[in-house]
Amino acid sequence: MSNGRGLLVGTAVVLVGLAAAVAFVTRERPLPALRQGGTLTVANAMSGSTEGYARAVEPRDFHFPEDHGPHPEFRTEWWYWTGNLETEDGRAFGYQFTLFRNALAPETDAAPRDSAWGARQVYMGHFTVTDVAGGTFHASERFSRVALGLSGATARPFKVWLEDWETASVDASAMWPMRLRAQTDDVALELLLEPGKTPVLHGERGLSQKSAERGNASYYYSMTRMPSRGTVRVGGTSYTVKGHSWMDREWSTSALGADQVGWDWFSLQLSDGSELMYYQLRHRDGAPDAYSSGLWVPPEGAGEPVHLRREDMKLVVQDTWKSPRSGGEYPSRWRMHVEKLGLDLTVTPRLADQELPVTVLYWEGTVGLEGSRQGQPVAGRGYVELTGYADTQGPRRQESQARGTPDEAATQAPP
Amino acid sequence: MKGLLVRSSVRHLGRHPWLTGLSLLGIALGVAVVVSIDLASGSALRAFERSTDAVAGRATHQLVGGTTGVPEAVYRDLRVRPGAPVAAPVVEGHVQAVVGDKRTLTVLGVDPFVEGPFRDYARGEAVGNVSTLLTEPGAVMLSARAARALGLTTGDTLPVRLEGLEKPLRVVGLLEPADEDTARALEALALMDVATAQELLGQPGRLTRVDLRLTGGEAQERAVAATLPQGLELVRAAARAGTVEQMTRAFRTNLTALSLLALVVGMFLIYNTMTFSVVQRRGLLGRLRALGITRRELFGLVLGEAAVLGAVGTVLGLLLGVLLARGLVELVTQTLNDLYFVVSVRRLALEPFTLAKGLALGLGATLLAALVPAWEAARSPPVTTMRRSTLEDVSRGRAPRLALAGLLVLAAGTALLSWNTPSLLPAYGGLFSVLLGAALLVPWTTQFLCALAAQPLGAAFGLLGRMAARGVHTSLSRTAVALAALMVAVATTVGVGLMVSSFRGTVVSWLDTSLQADVFISPPSLVARRGGATLLPGLADTLRDTPGVLGSSTLRVANVRVDGVPTDLMAVDFSRTPVRPYTFKQGDPETAWRELESSPDTVLVSEPFSFHRGVGVGDSVRLATDQGPRDFRVLGVYFDYGSDVGTLLLPRTSYERWFDDRGISGVALYAAPGQDVDALVASVRERAGDTQALLVRANRSLRQASLDVFDRTFTITQVLRLLAIGVAFVGVLSALMALQLERAREFAVLRATGLTPEQLWGLVSLQTGLLGLLAGLFSVPLGVGLAYVLVHVINQRSFGWTLQLALTPQTLVQAVVLALVASALAGLYPAWKMARANAALALREE
Repeated sequence: MSNGRGLLVGTAVVLVGLAAAVAFVTRERPLPALRQGGTLTVANAMSGSTEGYARAVEPRDFHFPEDHGPHPEFRTEWWYWTGNLETEDGRAFGYQFTLFRNALAPETDAAPRDSAWGARQVYMGHFTVTDVAGGTFHASERFSRVALGLSGATARPFKVWLEDWETASVDASAMWPMRLRAQTDDVALELLLEPGKTPVLHGERGLSQKSAERGNASYYYSMTRMPSRGTVRVGGTSYTVKGHSWMDREWSTSALGADQVGWDWFSLQLSDGSELMYYQLRHRDGAPDAYSSGLWVPPEGAGEPVHLRREDMKLVVQDTWKSPRSGGEYPSRWRMHVEKLGLDLTVTPRLADQELPVTVLYWEGTVGLEGSRQGQPVAGRGYVELTGYADTQGPRRQESQARGTPDEAATQAPP
Repeated sequence: MKGLLVRSSVRHLGRHPWLTGLSLLGIALGVAVVVSIDLASGSALRAFERSTDAVAGRATHQLVGGTTGVPEAVYRDLRVRPGAPVAAPVVEGHVQAVVGDKRTLTVLGVDPFVEGPFRDYARGEAVGNVSTLLTEPGAVMLSARAARALGLTTGDTLPVRLEGLEKPLRVVGLLEPADEDTARALEALALMDVATAQELLGQPGRLTRVDLRLTGGEAQERAVAATLPQGLELVRAAARAGTVEQMTRAFRTNLTALSLLALVVGMFLIYNTMTFSVVQRRGLLGRLRALGITRRELFGLVLGEAAVLGAVGTVLGLLLGVLLARGLVELVTQTLNDLYFVVSVRRLALEPFTLAKGLALGLGATLLAALVPAWEAARSPPVTTMRRSTLEDVSRGRAPRLALAGLLVLAAGTALLSWNTPSLLPAYGGLFSVLLGAALLVPWTTQFLCALAAQPLGAAFGLLGRMAARGVHTSLSRTAVALAALMVAVATTVGVGLMVSSFRGTVVSWLDTSLQADVFISPPSLVARRGGATLLPGLADTLRDTPGVLGSSTLRVANVRVDGVPTDLMAVDFSRTPVRPYTFKQGDPETAWRELESSPDTVLVSEPFSFHRGVGVGDSVRLATDQGPRDFRVLGVYFDYGSDVGTLLLPRTSYERWFDDRGISGVALYAAPGQDVDALVASVRERAGDTQALLVRANRSLRQASLDVFDRTFTITQVLRLLAIGVAFVGVLSALMALQLERAREFAVLRATGLTPEQLWGLVSLQTGLLGLLAGLFSVPLGVGLAYVLVHVINQRSFGWTLQLALTPQTLVQAVVLALVASALAGLYPAWKMARANAALALREE
């Protein structure tokens, strides 16, 4: 039997030896530790230096229609359309269509590249449709670089586009009317925009100072009441609609100060033919910033616009809404009182959840208003934008709507 | 009673530890070879699939073009159209890192903004990185693992080499995928912006393809296809997925079959061990029967022993297989890289399925081999005085019947082999039938030959010589199995050896006819046998104008879809030379060349192409040209051993007529009479300058380089052959050792009757030597037969090549020597043991 035991022991030893060898060769080899090196941070890349860009430091002369076109020497710029539309029988829709131009690096020091894809500017587009009666909010986001004609803007003929989302002069030889066109898998919008009132300049002749530092300002003008008509498609149904749009145009290189966390922005169209724009910059502690500012535009032919400063505006939040998506708590009803205009308004969102689940979370949606001006009752519609309430790089970024991303519904159901 | 049986088994196996150990080793080696090949080629394939999957992403369709891909404007037009489909541009290629482990990286150039629907990892999880990726030329992102292996981190420069040019990239960020699968897939990926990829790969304006997600069914498919400009095609992503698997199938099947041969040899070993143990215990088994043990129980006993041996041996084999695979995976990867595509395998994929397969195969083979011995054990009559001699009589009586069966199996095998079908399975069935048939013939042939050998051996060595010859004859039940095992093992090595040398000989003579120019210039390419790399623009003309050049030709290798399958296309410019270094298998060279030059829609195809696609002279093939799909008439079939999937050839003029690509992959120069070739090489190098590192080779060195690649691709085969030899060696050792050990009593009698230890040595050595010689001799015709089958049936069906079978005497002599050495070694231990044994003790054991 001793031989038998020898065999057994031998086999066992060989088995164990082999097993050890196998474990050795198939082990996950610990890789050499990553050397510490400079890390590229989001803050570095996005907010980088302002060097190489033009700054908004003093008032300038605006020329139209040229200034409807791009200003690539500044770092950021946007074409911002919002509006409230209705069908013949009163079905109400709100829309937002924004194209943001963003320079990743100044054009000035650009070395020529062999590839046409080499780009230093990108466009970001946000497109939302609020179906007030249906209680749904449809938001989507898109990016594209300024290359190969994938996105861009031209002044003459006027056109700003991001792939198949665009606003352009209908006729290349005339600025007006413009056609706005945007679509996603489940909503589409096509509008013909007339100019309506002439453009109004905000701040000091169009220079809108956002904080104390010199250069922390933008050039900012608006067209506050643009007659609009066209079609909205929601789901499978198209609606013929008309109403009024509001166009904001702003370009800058740096704006907010370090302690400013966001803003509440109002664009209200009153039933008496006047409009009110007001933005309130907010401190980390929620207090309104001294550089908050606004403009009241009287009805056509009824005098000059009136500038509003923070002291002129009494803004009281009457209710809040907590986003189930981001956990951000947004104001959801305001009482607005402007003594020097005799204006007293209550502003209420027409749908609670109009939060855009995009790269940078914010709330922007259609609102209704009622109250009085100079003792006369007024009503109206408008758009409100609320930023800085939710974690900007939150875990919900997944919901950002890239076209065709599987398993992600574009519709945000009401809470 | 059960306990008694088990104890008797254990005691028996334990009493012969060396034999038991050797048979364990035999099973282990057989299983190890099969498992290791499976693991190695599986890992390589899996690594390739993973990286292609990661690169292909979730696209449902791809938009592809001619040899230069898709013009980027097509993508733009697709994208800005209202209701545009979900699409993303892709620029793809390969570069080699010049730092760290010098791995080959797959370049993936994308637009991060539109990656969301396709590749999660590529959409710039850190948005901040996107701006650098876009704006900084040469910016690249690597997976954290790849960066570690290359010894780099964010901000470092990553120098890469491509087509002989070295270019610097800069790592601007690291990808850290959350899940393991993606992390592995990205290990060899260099992610960059489209712009950077276009610049790096030197193809501004072109995309490799456009990925699409079409969810609107066939209607949307048609709508998109309708808008495409000429020369572009919409293909379903699923259709492309199988091509790699298909391309390498023959290669992998052959590796598997060769590895199975090792297992077959291992099976003979088991059979031998089990038969031996049954024969040894006939007496015991008879007594057990007398005690009332049923046949069924005896049958179970022997099978049970086999199962235990099989299980232990198989587990050993699995472990050994993993170790072997670790080494083989490099070889397989190298071969795949030389032949087919760029793949880098970072680790072994230990697939549970592969291991389970190895386990089943090992156990199954053991049990199968033990069936006959178990049946014989069960047949033991319940008497105590059953003698070996009876068995041997039975065995000798059975030999002619076995031989007859062998002939029948051989005939069946031959029939299978001559069955005209492209399928490989009958071919392998035939191959294994031939092996089995030959093995069945062994007992009868041995009987016959031993009778013949007795005379001369007697003359040479006297009584001992005759005893040796008759010993083989009289213990036929043992010797025949050992001989068969030895023969199969040696024949396998002969067959594979002859196949490789025949193949090599054919390639050598093909190279002689096809390499006629004096100097060859090409940029280095990542896949040795395909050379798609391009020379810098204008360089070709400079080189062709080198003084001392009489004539020249250029070659462009490009990948084009032929009947929907990506195929290498060779465009040759013969305008400055009368030499046409191609040999035709089909078609008349004279007219074919003339017509090829005059009509632009004609091509030549290589032999493997003709074989795989079933295309001959007069047929036509459809090429996806830049002018849209075109039918080309085949004028001839030429011999080509460079690619096993097949190539097409057309003149440069035709190529430029149908394709936009103007690149040149290689230049061949013919020296003027009296021009020294080495001097010409030197002046070509000088003219080429040092902007692009080129391979400038004289005829001789290119020929050598080609053969080196050839030899490299057959390294794995040679390794397998060596492993089979190893298994064979163990088999012979154990079979012959068993044989001699079993005759302990016979030897004791001889010792008792006056045989000296030296004489006993002589007897044992003579006998094992005789067996070795017989096995060596048997293996020669069988080996040649195997080689014939491998060359003319298996290779032909796998790759479509016509090879010339060449019998190299060296291989044959090697075989006989191998058999003799193995048997000589096998005789040592028994002879030593017998010579030392106390004759009286051995006798008393009865």
